[in-house]
Amino acid sequence: MNQFSTILKFELKSCFQKKAFVGITIFLVLVIAFVMFSPRVFGMFSDDDTQSSESKPVILVVADSPKNADFLKKYFAKAFVDYDVKISDKNLTDVKNQIISQKAECAFVLKSLSSYEYYVNNLSLYDSNTQIADEALENIYRMNEMEKNGVPMENVEKVFNTSIEHDTKALGQNQAQNFFYTYIMIFALYFVIIIYGQMVATNVATEKSSRAMELLITSAKPVSMMFGKIIASCLAGLIQLVAVFGSAYLFYNINKPYWTGNPLIESIFNMPLELLVYMVIFFILGFFIYAFLYGAIGSTVSKLEDINTAVMPLTLIFVIAFFVVVYSMTNGSVDNIMMVVCSYIPFTSPVAMFTRIAMSTVPFYEILISIAILVASVIGIGVISAKIYRVGVLLYGTTPKIGSLLKAIKKA
Amino acid sequence: MELTLKNLQKSFGKKEVLKGISFSTEGGKAFGLLGRNGAGKTTSIRIIMGVFSADGGEVLIDGKPIDYNKIQIGYLPEERGLYPKKKIIDQLVYFANLKGMNYKSAVKSVDYWLRRLNMTEYRDKRLDTLSKGNQQKIQLITAIAHNPQIIILDEPFSGLDPVNAMILKDVVKEQIKKGKIVLFSSHQMNYIEEFCDKIAILNNGKIALQGELYDIKRNYVRDKLIVRSENADKIVEELGECCSLTETGEIKIQLNSENEKQNMMKTLTEKYDIDEIKVFEPSLNDIFVEYTKN
Repeated sequence: MNQFSTILKFELKSCFQKKAFVGITIFLVLVIAFVMFSPRVFGMFSDDDTQSSESKPVILVVADSPKNADFLKKYFAKAFVDYDVKISDKNLTDVKNQIISQKAECAFVLKSLSSYEYYVNNLSLYDSNTQIADEALENIYRMNEMEKNGVPMENVEKVFNTSIEHDTKALGQNQAQNFFYTYIMIFALYFVIIIYGQMVATNVATEKSSRAMELLITSAKPVSMMFGKIIASCLAGLIQLVAVFGSAYLFYNINKPYWTGNPLIESIFNMPLELLVYMVIFFILGFFIYAFLYGAIGSTVSKLEDINTAVMPLTLIFVIAFFVVVYSMTNGSVDNIMMVVCSYIPFTSPVAMFTRIAMSTVPFYEILISIAILVASVIGIGVISAKIYRVGVLLYGTTPKIGSLLKAIKKA
Repeated sequence: MELTLKNLQKSFGKKEVLKGISFSTEGGKAFGLLGRNGAGKTTSIRIIMGVFSADGGEVLIDGKPIDYNKIQIGYLPEERGLYPKKKIIDQLVYFANLKGMNYKSAVKSVDYWLRRLNMTEYRDKRLDTLSKGNQQKIQLITAIAHNPQIIILDEPFSGLDPVNAMILKDVVKEQIKKGKIVLFSSHQMNYIEEFCDKIAILNNGKIALQGELYDIKRNYVRDKLIVRSENADKIVEELGECCSLTETGEIKIQLNSENEKQNMMKTLTEKYDIDEIKVFEPSLNDIFVEYTKN
């Protein structure tokens, strides 16, 4: 136990002395501070009303005939609320020039009320202006037709301007609301496990390649060495997570009034507390599963440059798990069969089950089963990894084949 | 205190590395463990240190199985290596802590040894800023700072300049004087001859020869003569196959038995102009080569 705490302290100190650790943590905290303080800082310089109307991008509408101009302006302005809609009577070349010179963002040149050409400088992947214009013109067409058929104009407008009131009551989770914070947390889990897991592998391989292992192995028990290293990395990862998320929470609270009305930020900081608890549980268990294996793999490598190829298969498993989760999240189907399966497999459950808890309603017993499988696997993999480690640290030369390694482990 | 290895056996896969190694050594004496590369020295050392368990046999201290909680071992491995990017004081204290010393006494002891080896100026430097010889001195501190009862030194003098070798010699002699068990493994036979009272020569996992160095040399069969003469070429030509020229130009004559010594000496002095004639006294190197030549 004494040896273990000596190793833990030494490894933790080494972690904190690393420039990368300190640098990345400070950088992330600064970025978060910048984002969180930005509405307060920018609010000091801007005068909301005048600025916003002036800075609205311009849409040009060239009417098919002058009599339709007012009509079109009215309905296009209604459809494009974020734009300044201007009717243009200029010829096509002038209109194009205005777009190229960025005086206007785009232009609709109408040939008739049911046909137009859309001009834009760079067509964005997400440009939906033509859909909005189509809808506006369809409405104009329908209104014209109804008016022609003798329905009075005010009735027509009434029919088209009816607004439907609706209220959504999500009985489980509101995915629109918790998508972002789940995404942020999954991302943090993924990165911390990958980065710190690989750090364990690199540290072990460094000790082997610098031959410090020769002395270490005679000074401490391999199990203390491995657990000391892994728990130190786990603590370092947790401390980094707490520093980043903690500073985000602190900065949010300082600037809370400036963020009211922003549904994204408000949803992130109003996440349920139990989710944070689950995150810590899945982080620790997931971290241990991967760190044990990273440590064991690191011990079988004699040269530092071999470490990347050796850990690749393990990293790939986690990358695949991450992509399955992100794919399911963006599809809005976090309870699909793939996710359900993944939420019980120990290598994928830390991210898969966590996402399901955050974005769906998972019965408590399922969560318990998933955690129980994970705990059992952590213990099992811990024991096997310690055996690999004991054998691996003294093997030099070519990386051993899995078969010969298993034989050696059996003997150990 | 007496360290005894009793019939140690160890195999890695199908390869039998140790085939029954037995020897013993006591405190206040240095023991030389010799052998060619791959003879089983490092495996024996690792078994003594408890890194491996033996397939058969025992490691005993005063007749009882070694208790690693009570017996401290210091080890200078042949493959030197510490943390290149860490401060020297930090890693030396770390290793002393691992061996059970508390922080305060570890710092005190490390500082003492840094001073003793003229290394105090490097205390707060990173290891990779030091020369190879100085790195080796740092490595030596990891083997002795925790005041172990058994000290195992694997090739301790390789890479040291004569001044540093002298400092190391003094340290080793001092440790022997303090009553510690010192186990030497080296291919530099002159150092073994200088320090060790007892030796064991390992060959292919077995002990080929062991005992007091003095006895080994004395009991060596005295059936070779060394002759120095102006007529060396002529002697070699006339005596034939039993003669060979040494590097220093002397003639080494292999006799059929020790009994022929007097006759051969007489014949040589009568027949040729001889400057010097003596019975061949083997060096440890000669004995080593003879017993490990497969």
